[in-house]
Amino acid sequence: MSSAGKAAASAAGQPSDRTGFLGARIPSEVEVMTKHLKDLDKEMFRKILKAVVSALEGKDCRESMTAIAEHGNLSEEQLSYIIAGMYTLLKEALRLPASSLKQEVFKEDLRDIRIAEEFIADFASVIFGSRRAVLESAAAQQGTRRAGIADFRWRVDVAISTSSLARALQPSILMQMKLTDGNAHRFEVPVSKFQELRYNVALILKEMNDLEKRSVLKIQD
Amino acid sequence: MAAIIKETQSIKQAVTLINGIDPGKFPRLLSRILQKLHLKAERSFSEEEEEKLQSAFSLEKQDLQLILETVSFILEQAVYHNVKPASLQQQLENVHLNPEKAEAFAQAWATTGQETVEKFRQRMFAPKKLESVGWQLSLQMAQSTQAKMKSPRAVLELGVRSEDSENSEKMFVEFSHEELLDFYNKLETIQAQLDSLT
Repeated sequence: MSSAGKAAASAAGQPSDRTGFLGARIPSEVEVMTKHLKDLDKEMFRKILKAVVSALEGKDCRESMTAIAEHGNLSEEQLSYIIAGMYTLLKEALRLPASSLKQEVFKEDLRDIRIAEEFIADFASVIFGSRRAVLESAAAQQGTRRAGIADFRWRVDVAISTSSLARALQPSILMQMKLTDGNAHRFEVPVSKFQELRYNVALILKEMNDLEKRSVLKIQD
Repeated sequence: MAAIIKETQSIKQAVTLINGIDPGKFPRLLSRILQKLHLKAERSFSEEEEEKLQSAFSLEKQDLQLILETVSFILEQAVYHNVKPASLQQQLENVHLNPEKAEAFAQAWATTGQETVEKFRQRMFAPKKLESVGWQLSLQMAQSTQAKMKSPRAVLELGVRSEDSENSEKMFVEFSHEELLDFYNKLETIQAQLDSLT
């Protein structure tokens, strides 16, 4: 079936030795999964798929997994191979932006590793369906990055008088930043430094805009 | 204006001592004390320097201490009331500081006074103060969970210094385009507040 597809593709003039989205060497967990998928009925497949998608979204799916393990007729070993394979397959597909990996190519690649057509349809609906946005933002959140701002508070005070000055009348800005790594910083910002900060942030934003305009043109997928 | 220096016993004592100091060396002493006046945690002179001063002015340790404390006090009062140099001179003569020394005070105050008042103005009750702003803009191409990203990321480096010490700390905060825009809007709100004060 897949060789006929490939023959048709090469007849149409397309290269048939394109590297699939899973890479030059199919990950072993995916290969093992494909063997065990044959033993699954559609209902069981969908249950497991649902739990794996939950896990990809970052949710705790221990309950659903235990339910599947108890009520299904699969051995623990089989179940773990299937889950591992599904997880890897979906994760690899999600790594690539939708503009880069098209649905047809995705399906073609799955046919190449001999996954049943009806299962391919279900996988495709996860990657290219309405859940994609949620999955992508979960992947972005799990990414590697420095701390960002979790909470930002500020106030502007005017000191009328202090123990050192009878008439101070100096505005000052107090900022409190809680970062995503749990650290909190509270500090005062002299008005002149504030202007410097504001100017620099505006400058970065302008550069970001310029960069986005340029990069779309130069760096092709 | 009201007297900023009251003639207490210790002031009388200090004045006598100050009047006895070599007038040639006095202006330098004044400007040095003025320089460090706003730094709460630091003494104007190190132990070593104080010993040198003792011998330079041929003073006992206690006497030197009294002089240094009194001069600091006079200057702090000048800052608090933001006096004019002429007024300061007059007030010092009123407590029997000799005219030469009073003039030295007025001179030092006229030169560095405003600057010192400004430094005190800048000192508010915050544990730390923002000192430097640096940044880096990069185009993130990929990470372990996503490939082909082309996502602009900015990292802000905020240098923050503790008020009473030399220690400065650097905070690194990362922003996506959206996050930075959000931050900028908050800064604009702060600016609007500042504008409404004037």
